[in-house]
Amino acid sequence: MTEQLGRLTLEQRNDGFVLAGAIDETSQLDVVLAKAKAGTLVLDLAGITFINSLGVRDWIRMLSAATKANIKVELRRVSEPIVHQLNMIVATRGTATVASFYAPYACDSCGREDSLLIDAIRNQVQLERLQAPPMACPECKSNMAFNDFPERYFSFLART
Amino acid sequence: MSPGQSILVVHPDKKTQRVCQRILGVTGFPVDVADDLAGGLARIEVRKPILIVVDGASVLSPAADAFFAATRGVEACMTLLEVTSAGQVPKILGTGAVTNLLVHPMPVLAEELTVTAQKLIRRDLFGADKYLLWGTELHEVTIVRGGQRGELIGRVAEHVKAIGQSPRVAQAAMLVTDELVSNAVHNAPVDGSGDHYRKDLPRDVELLLDEAHQVRVRWGCDARYLAIEVRDKFGSLDRDTILRSLGRTGVRETGGGAGMGVALTYRSCDHLVFNLAPGRQTEVVALIDVRASAADRGPASSYNVFVERA
Repeated sequence: MTEQLGRLTLEQRNDGFVLAGAIDETSQLDVVLAKAKAGTLVLDLAGITFINSLGVRDWIRMLSAATKANIKVELRRVSEPIVHQLNMIVATRGTATVASFYAPYACDSCGREDSLLIDAIRNQVQLERLQAPPMACPECKSNMAFNDFPERYFSFLART
Repeated sequence: MSPGQSILVVHPDKKTQRVCQRILGVTGFPVDVADDLAGGLARIEVRKPILIVVDGASVLSPAADAFFAATRGVEACMTLLEVTSAGQVPKILGTGAVTNLLVHPMPVLAEELTVTAQKLIRRDLFGADKYLLWGTELHEVTIVRGGQRGELIGRVAEHVKAIGQSPRVAQAAMLVTDELVSNAVHNAPVDGSGDHYRKDLPRDVELLLDEAHQVRVRWGCDARYLAIEVRDKFGSLDRDTILRSLGRTGVRETGGGAGMGVALTYRSCDHLVFNLAPGRQTEVVALIDVRASAADRGPASSYNVFVERA
């Protein structure tokens, strides 16, 4: 069953919850946090297309409340708009762990630009060296190049 | 042009000096050059420049305080910072003294310097069209209720995608539009005593806007930049607040605006322009470079703060 939380939707799937849409002043992230079971909350963020400063504020509040309640938050398939916020504002990371995230790649051969999924656990060593994992173009199968500054895009993975 | 007025370029690199001289010479103003801040100060004493272009690296030198104090009366002091030195932007923002920062590749692009100079010389600050190529269509919407913001960002994103721009550009456009409209609707309104009486109103409660509170939004793309312009009728945003806000990295736990709107907008676009007419209107223009991929974009963005003089 899908719950509508303002412009955000929440749906239970497998061992976690899928969030989609916009995180803004209408999102009820306290409802999301209340879904935690046995001290764990797994969130799939692939469908988040937008987060504004008010959404950022509420996101930080949610993670802060999770830390106080000893709830472990795991983020999976984190979309690019969320990664940008994680990079810009350190507090948005809280104590959450990121299992996988999307990153921009571009193909030099055919010019296709895409957001591709990176497994942060499997590629941990490479990412710590600020090296983007190699990816094949979904269209022409050529090697794609990472399409951002690694120092900027992967900075959210550094633990402070 | 008033007699004795000039443009001053303060930069240690001879090549940059020459490039700036050629670009700014087209304004018809004499262009003076100095190698360092001390030389620049000496020039300022001789004739008052309408525009000063100064090397960004020198902003952090010990002589900078005296130099920027002397430039307070100048219409604009534009700071050039090479892309390779973009890591210095937080420190430059921290000085609170730099009202115009152009983060640029080498050689310096003529467009931003020319637009800045012409805006000051002609005393004509307002309008995103100054940053777009001739013939670019600007779409316009008047915000008459607070809840229109969500609909508008959806419309802007659809339009950006429909004209063939990347998801990155659409995402940036959505964020910029949302933050600027939110600021104009909730933070701009101010009463006679300076109280921002709508700043703490809940953003998710509908708010009807009378004519004085309505906000104009325009956007257009010339295949170089997507420009998003938001204008309110209060003119309450001031230079010092902007300079403080640009460098923010923290978020307030309370309050409506979260205190991050300007900072997020700045980091989501390539060039942010504030046109201020105190007590009359504020216009913010965000420029998103649609030519560059994320990897080709500069690691820091440019900004201008223009204040209309009586």
